[in-house]
Amino acid sequence: MFVYLLQRLATAVLTLFGMSVLIFVLLRVVPGDIVDIIFSSAGFVNPAAKAELAREMGLDRPVAIQYVRWLKDVARGDLGKSYRYDVPAWQVVKPRIPVTVELALLAILIAVALGVFTGVVSAARQDSALDYALRFFSLAGLSMPSFWLGMLIILALVSWAGWVPAMTYVSPFQDLRAHFLQFIFPALAVGYRGSALIMRITRSAMLEVMREDYIRTARAKGLRERAVIFGHALANAMLPIITVIGFEFAFMIGGLVVTETVFNLPGVARYLVDAILWRDYPVAQNLVMLIAVAVVTVNLSVDLLYGYLDPRIRYGTR
Amino acid sequence: MCRQIYRLIFSVVFSALLAASASAAPAPKAGGVLNATLIEAPPSFSIHEEATVGAVWPVMPCYNNLVLFDPLKKQESLDSIIPELAEKWTLQDGGKSLVFFLRKDVKWHDGRPFTSQDVKHTFDVVREAPGIATKLRVNPRQLWYENVASIDAPDPTTVAFRLKKAQPSLILMLASGYSPVYPAHVPPAELRTKCMGTGPFKLKEVRPGELIDYVRNPDYFVKGRPYLDGIRYTIIKDRSTRYSAIQAGRQDVPYPLEIAKTIAETVKKSAPHLVLIDSATNVYDSFFVNHSRPMFADAKLRTALNLAVDRSGYIKAARQGAAVAGGVMLPPPYGVWGLSAAEQAKIPGFGDAAKQKAEARKLLAEAGYGPSKPLKLTVSTRAIPSYVEMTSYVVDQLRQVGIDATIEQIETGVWHAKMTRREFDLAVDQTGIGVDDPDARFFEGYKCASPRNYSAYCNKEIDAMIDKQSEIIEQKKRLDLVHEIDKRLQLDGARFMLGHSKEYVLMQPYVRNLVPHQSVYNYGRMQEVWLDK
Repeated sequence: MFVYLLQRLATAVLTLFGMSVLIFVLLRVVPGDIVDIIFSSAGFVNPAAKAELAREMGLDRPVAIQYVRWLKDVARGDLGKSYRYDVPAWQVVKPRIPVTVELALLAILIAVALGVFTGVVSAARQDSALDYALRFFSLAGLSMPSFWLGMLIILALVSWAGWVPAMTYVSPFQDLRAHFLQFIFPALAVGYRGSALIMRITRSAMLEVMREDYIRTARAKGLRERAVIFGHALANAMLPIITVIGFEFAFMIGGLVVTETVFNLPGVARYLVDAILWRDYPVAQNLVMLIAVAVVTVNLSVDLLYGYLDPRIRYGTR
Repeated sequence: MCRQIYRLIFSVVFSALLAASASAAPAPKAGGVLNATLIEAPPSFSIHEEATVGAVWPVMPCYNNLVLFDPLKKQESLDSIIPELAEKWTLQDGGKSLVFFLRKDVKWHDGRPFTSQDVKHTFDVVREAPGIATKLRVNPRQLWYENVASIDAPDPTTVAFRLKKAQPSLILMLASGYSPVYPAHVPPAELRTKCMGTGPFKLKEVRPGELIDYVRNPDYFVKGRPYLDGIRYTIIKDRSTRYSAIQAGRQDVPYPLEIAKTIAETVKKSAPHLVLIDSATNVYDSFFVNHSRPMFADAKLRTALNLAVDRSGYIKAARQGAAVAGGVMLPPPYGVWGLSAAEQAKIPGFGDAAKQKAEARKLLAEAGYGPSKPLKLTVSTRAIPSYVEMTSYVVDQLRQVGIDATIEQIETGVWHAKMTRREFDLAVDQTGIGVDDPDARFFEGYKCASPRNYSAYCNKEIDAMIDKQSEIIEQKKRLDLVHEIDKRLQLDGARFMLGHSKEYVLMQPYVRNLVPHQSVYNYGRMQEVWLDK
């Protein structure tokens, strides 16, 4: 187990290294840099002043040197200075992390609760009207981008209730109700989409498990149907569901970019787009790395969960 | 008889009282926080280093100018200038010295006294006066102060701008939102991330990319102002969310120049309680050739391009009525200096579309282009939907006369770099000018040496005319010359004017004293704004 963990950690480090090279190069492949953008907002470009500014920001150095310097800074815990806001990047990123984490957790919670529950019900009532209705519900979620659903929610709220959630971040310590209302709608938009895939996987895994002999045995022993489904079938169908939840988490980060924008939540995902548009390299690079670390950690956790959920699985080195 | 006289007197007095009560404006109320909207965070807090309304609009409440366009008057002109940090001013030496007498009771937000040294420092930095050590990172309006020979501060409350020659427009440029006075004791680099002004509002909090909060300046030198307790500028990036927020009453006022006509009308229909104000602005749409390319030296070709694009069709179709036709300067009644509709109609592009297209085809043939050898042009524009819509119209019009035109979308971040390097054939752009004034407009967009003269148009004769109009103090005489220059620029094809944008401001009915001007850059001080709640 320990060796396996070490192997996985080494793979994670390699993945992150690859990501760092990729994001560093991709950002610089895009035409223009922050200096161009600074002059753009002034409406003209003065080549001498531009060269001076590029030198001040270290953008005149070879890309390889810039890359090594960035890695050194990150290793020292220095995330650099935001070109856009002229303040330490961490100062800009730090308050955004809890917003995205809260939204992602709430969304995944909704996705899992909705997806697993409807998947189980759908499997238990296979080929019934309820099964068809739930499958339609899940297909609709798969077909609907979360940002579009977010827009529909906003429009519905303003049209029917003449109300929209707060446009600036409300701390839970300041107003818990307003905070909840600010997060629940975007979480629903993102979570619904996520629930669709979880529902479909749960349904098919459940159908497979429910044909097993031990389920028949459990029923023959006189166990109540609820105990059979949730106590035996679901527990044994969890492995593919957990895998999908891991995947969904990674996809969810992409969905959050637009959903945070639609609901005007000041999270990491929305800010990443801003940082890329402004070629705010220190912020964009560090945010992408932060997201990559989160995704790699979730995947690792999912793999480790397998062993916990299925005692037959043992991690070895062969 | 007597009863009739009494009845008459009574009815006259009653009517007068009724009329008086109806016309009396409600007394301003103090208090409340204005919820204003931004579409993105300002590029910086240093107005002198920026050339976008995105910087001026949310930062203006922090600063003061020497003088300002009266925020309550819709049309900006020489007559609408009011004092701010200067109590009064006078022209001396035949118009070659502009002397300001400053207020004595002004303090910076950090408590330090404001003096004439601050004014001298600010404008010496902006004009990059010889020997000045402090430099701005980017200096987009140095050209505005090209005519200033020196700035003297003989005592703490007097400052004199000594000019190379008379320039009646200088005071207008000083009245723009782009001309705040900076504190001499704070380096300009620091002013990019904070604001240290003398203005009606002090910066309370900035959450990068999320909001900017201001609070009332209790030591403000205008007693009883501002009315508001504060202003919160919220950055809302998604367009439909912005409109929903206004409709639901979360936001009080929109971002200037942001709401399209059709959307404004739709939102107004859904929320009839909102107030909709429309006004033409000196933000104009134009297309222009790259004059540095030899092919465009041919005047026939330029005229053909000008004739090919039907302007009235542009305003009706591409802008859906959200623009007004005009020349280089914003036309009356919106602006002060523009050509009248009758004069403008004589310019190519503004007449009968079918006849003009036929004429364009003829000129193209004379220039050597036709069906067997079509003129191929790339029309560059920013990769922003509204710009692409404008450009699609232009491309369609050019194709109708046989020009093989295609669109090239360029990301905004590199747009100005490409324009400055003149890497384009034909470009479609939207540009705003800080002041509705010929000096600001002509010097920036048309003088040979201007860095913002993207088309590279250069005509020494026109340059001389521009210099000449700048010195004329008599308004009527200057207006005549300005009109002459306007026509010449259009006939020369310096830039082909498509239209001047109309601004649609949707705001809550309780917002008072926020009056949109013909320049979106100059009415953001918020000193007079109050909430009738």
